[in-house]
Amino acid sequence: MNVMRPMPAGQVGRSVPRLEAREKVTGRADYVHNLVVPGMLYTKVFRSTVPHGRIVSIDTSAAEAVEGVYRVVTGEDIRKVVPEPYYGPAFHDQPVLALDKVRHVGEPVAVVLAEDPYVAAEAVQLITAEYEELEPVFDEVEAVTSRAVVHEVLKPAGTFPDLKHLVGRRDTNVALDYQLRRGDVDAAFAAADRVFEHEFRTQQTMHTPLEPMVSLAIPGHESLTIHTASQSPSFVRIEIARLLGWPENRVRVVVPHLGGGFGAKLYIKLEALVACLALLVRRPVKLSLTMEEQFYTISKHASTFRIRSSVKDGKITGRRCEVFWNGGAYADIGPRVTQKSGFTAPGPYDIDNVSIDSYALYTNRPPAGALRGFGIPQLVWAYESHTDLIARELEIDPVEFRRNNILREGREQATGTAMKDAAIEAVLEDIVARMDWSKPFDRGTGPLRRGRGIAIGFKASISPTTSVAIVNVYGDGSSSLYLSTVDMGQGSDTAMAQIVGETLGIETENVKVIHPDTDVTPYDMATLGSRSTFHMGNAVKLAAQHARDQLDALARSLGLPPGTNYGPKDLFKKKYGMQAGNIVGVGSYIPDYKSPDPATGLSDNVTPFWMIGGTGVEIEVDTETGHVRILRMVNAVDCGRPLNPKIVETQLSGAALMQLGFTLFENMEYDNGQVTNASFADYKIPGIHDLPARIENDIVEAEQKSGPYGAKGVGESATFGVSPAIANAIHDAVGVRLTEMPLTPEAVFRAIRAQKG
Amino acid sequence: MRGFELVHPASLGEAIKLLDTDDPTVRPFSGGTALMLMMKAGVFQPSRLVDLGGIEPEHAAVEATGDGGLKLGAMATLAQVERSADVMRVAPVIPRAMKRLANVRVRNVARIGGNLAHGDPHMDLPPVLSSLGGEVAVTGPAGERRIAIESLFSGYYETVLSQGELIRQVILPPQRGWASAYMKCTTRSADDWPALGVAVSLKLTDGAVQDSRIMVSAATEKLTRLAAAEAALEGAQPGEAAFARAADAAATEAETIDDARGSAEYKTELLRVYVKRALAEAVRNGAVQ
Ligand SMILES: Cc1cc2nc3c(=O)[nH]c(=O)nc-3n(C[C@H](O)[C@H](O)[C@H](O)COP(=O)(O)OP(=O)(O)OC[C@H]3O[C@@H](n4cnc5c(N)ncnc54)[C@H](O)[C@@H]3O)c2cc1C
Repeated sequence: MNVMRPMPAGQVGRSVPRLEAREKVTGRADYVHNLVVPGMLYTKVFRSTVPHGRIVSIDTSAAEAVEGVYRVVTGEDIRKVVPEPYYGPAFHDQPVLALDKVRHVGEPVAVVLAEDPYVAAEAVQLITAEYEELEPVFDEVEAVTSRAVVHEVLKPAGTFPDLKHLVGRRDTNVALDYQLRRGDVDAAFAAADRVFEHEFRTQQTMHTPLEPMVSLAIPGHESLTIHTASQSPSFVRIEIARLLGWPENRVRVVVPHLGGGFGAKLYIKLEALVACLALLVRRPVKLSLTMEEQFYTISKHASTFRIRSSVKDGKITGRRCEVFWNGGAYADIGPRVTQKSGFTAPGPYDIDNVSIDSYALYTNRPPAGALRGFGIPQLVWAYESHTDLIARELEIDPVEFRRNNILREGREQATGTAMKDAAIEAVLEDIVARMDWSKPFDRGTGPLRRGRGIAIGFKASISPTTSVAIVNVYGDGSSSLYLSTVDMGQGSDTAMAQIVGETLGIETENVKVIHPDTDVTPYDMATLGSRSTFHMGNAVKLAAQHARDQLDALARSLGLPPGTNYGPKDLFKKKYGMQAGNIVGVGSYIPDYKSPDPATGLSDNVTPFWMIGGTGVEIEVDTETGHVRILRMVNAVDCGRPLNPKIVETQLSGAALMQLGFTLFENMEYDNGQVTNASFADYKIPGIHDLPARIENDIVEAEQKSGPYGAKGVGESATFGVSPAIANAIHDAVGVRLTEMPLTPEAVFRAIRAQKG
Repeated sequence: MRGFELVHPASLGEAIKLLDTDDPTVRPFSGGTALMLMMKAGVFQPSRLVDLGGIEPEHAAVEATGDGGLKLGAMATLAQVERSADVMRVAPVIPRAMKRLANVRVRNVARIGGNLAHGDPHMDLPPVLSSLGGEVAVTGPAGERRIAIESLFSGYYETVLSQGELIRQVILPPQRGWASAYMKCTTRSADDWPALGVAVSLKLTDGAVQDSRIMVSAATEKLTRLAAAEAALEGAQPGEAAFARAADAAATEAETIDDARGSAEYKTELLRVYVKRALAEAVRNGAVQ
């Protein structure tokens, strides 16, 4: 740009304090929970008490008789507004309210609407339903062959070409059977020195955003406005418009601040329900879930992973992966997890012969979707535990064994896509160096035994996806950024403003970020899978460049010489004779992508970028009780060039601690499909006392050449290595191997006892 | 919608009158930290709550007695007890236990009386106060009686208090010469409800255990005194061998239960370890002078 800028570049790479921090800590930030509009009705949901059953009858009369109840609504009433009320991003399988059948405990069956939320809560307890109970299935492996069938017919959404072959498939719980074939695995097994096989399992957990899901729909004249705590406003608009058979422009979705998301608030959660209710009763309708209800809304996939590897001369020559994902009663985004994460199941290793089968299963549990890592932590847990076990068996140092097999820059990953800008080795070596791996290690005394472990993982960005951004430079030279990326606490507003600041040469703090409002902000696929920094970041940079180019053109048209000291404000003044006008820069970004061959799963361009993360831990095991204490945790990632190092660091510690909870104790426990610990009193997440005694977060020197200012996503990368690093360290400390999460003290204790005989 | 009545008596006597009914939905309310959770979860719907906040201030007093014991008014907050110089001198095990009891916000509102009366076997104070030989003074329509804290609990969330009876005060006997320790063990997050609580008090005379009180909570249906473990210690030299014998006796006699925090079997093993550790810690802490 030729127009002189008031300050030099240097916005990117600076730890700009979070733009919204003051608003949040002083309680001024706006959340949907605080939003009240005139005439609003509150909703309380009546939920299924059986895991699988046909609805025989629903009795709402007693609830309707409660004074103050405005209306009670069931699934059949919803049909008056939407004849085919089934939604979902991959499958149109989820009814707005249950129709004919219920498929999990906690499934919404009816709702009470009242002006007073306490009246609604009391009345909902008076609703009764009769079910003809059907045999349920809860386990993902049993679901493959079980007599119990959750959905009689598969209903893929039709938007994904790789789901087309599933249309109309009957009497199966397999929602997606993804496969990849590369080389000849059987031949590799036959020619190997040794073959190793293990099975690893993970449990179902929950996102526990501190702000539970909440949505408010306001009917207008041939229009509808939805205020919602959503990570995907554009998707919500498109899906609600599809359900109603309306054009997109009649549905407006507004998203203020979010109190956490972690993947729980993607796609449709409460929006379809409040939209239908608002249109049915022609009044604004709000639904705020309790923490308890979130456990029945969305969760993280439980999984089983069978992994088999052949080794010859210390090199892994073949690997067969069979992964079963417990998707619960509705597919949500599970089939994407199955495929988009599934193809990385062999791990960041250079293996010529690979076979992957990854299955999305329906079961009678609450649905599972995306949770910080999109399935990757489940995979890394298995392949990095497996890697350590092989190294141990072969009596090779686990770091050395990884070095021998690591996937180097330029080599092809299982899909056939060459690794580019993927600092896998650098991440491994960074952790190894920090932990002084080659130095002697204090192994503890008495009942306290010490051990250490390392694990690395990687993830492909979900593709192809689009982001659009607008930068508006106003008459006085100040500017705003319009985008539908949702800042749910990860700091995207600040990072995106930094990109605008860097490109326009203005201070980040002076860029105003306009929060998602689909009437105002342009399309974005969703805030998920660490895609925003790269995709939206590129779109924002293009939008800012577009604005800058127009400012340059304006200067030229006004006859000013290149390098003029006229700022944007002066240009507008000179052109319009007063403070007036504006310049709108638009940026739209979609990366190149080649979809994998349906038969082989191969593609030479399967992702626009790779995320790399690893963890090393030093731990102490109390051999008398099984308690594990993390003395030290080292997390390292390749996130390209960090736009804001401080935010990256908090993303690393946050991701690692979240995964620490999933690793050590978080677990949704069940009794015949009922979650028995669905509250914060009984479902424990890590607190301040659970932090490792020492935690270090490292950003390795790297650059994502195709990213905005060399950056790429980082919200999930520090989750990858945590679980297997800890299991590997436990093995190192006390010689026992846990293959099922969570790694509770009792599990460790029992393994130690079993080993002693 | 069903509401409830909230009444604010100005004296203990008045409170007892307001509570003198057969209706179990009429309950006293002290800090409310336990009661409100039950109301929110829908497991308790009151018709009347009798707020004890306005009764005579003497019922919130915390003070040493002339003989080297303590009196804790039932309405004293946990934080008040935690910070009392008298408590620190007479029974330092109490403020030590407070550090890991809930959090500062809860301790600022929860009361001693509510903590004991709730009957939740996961609470920390019942094992601690009973291992110190504590009693409660209870007042009701039929007058006043004293109950040893170790006998206060009749089952899971059940006490021997009858409807209308209020805990007025906790009385601790002189602690001189007693060494005490409390240990709790969580198996999920550090701030989880304990899988096990063990409180021990030892009286050492001429290098031998003259008397002891060993209490287990959380792992059992209700607070339980471990008589066999105490018998195993009697007259013994404090040390690993005697503590191991007591621990084995404890593991044999305690009836541990399964729950989400661990199996009964595992809790028995934890008990064996923690009795040993708590006894050793009591010795390390030393006797109160
Ligand atoms: C987040 C959280 C964490 C916690 N963590 C711990 C912990 O780590 N360790 C622990 O020990 N506890 C813990 N607690 C429990 C806490 O200690 C109890 O809730 C508290 O002590 C109860 O006291 P209160 O005054 O609030 O009782 P209330 O809720 O007012 O009453 C509890 C019960 O006692 C009855 N009651 C109250 N006062 C009297 C009286 N004087 N006489 C007779 N009956 C009476 C009430 O009717 C009710 O049934 C935790 C609680 C919370 C909310």
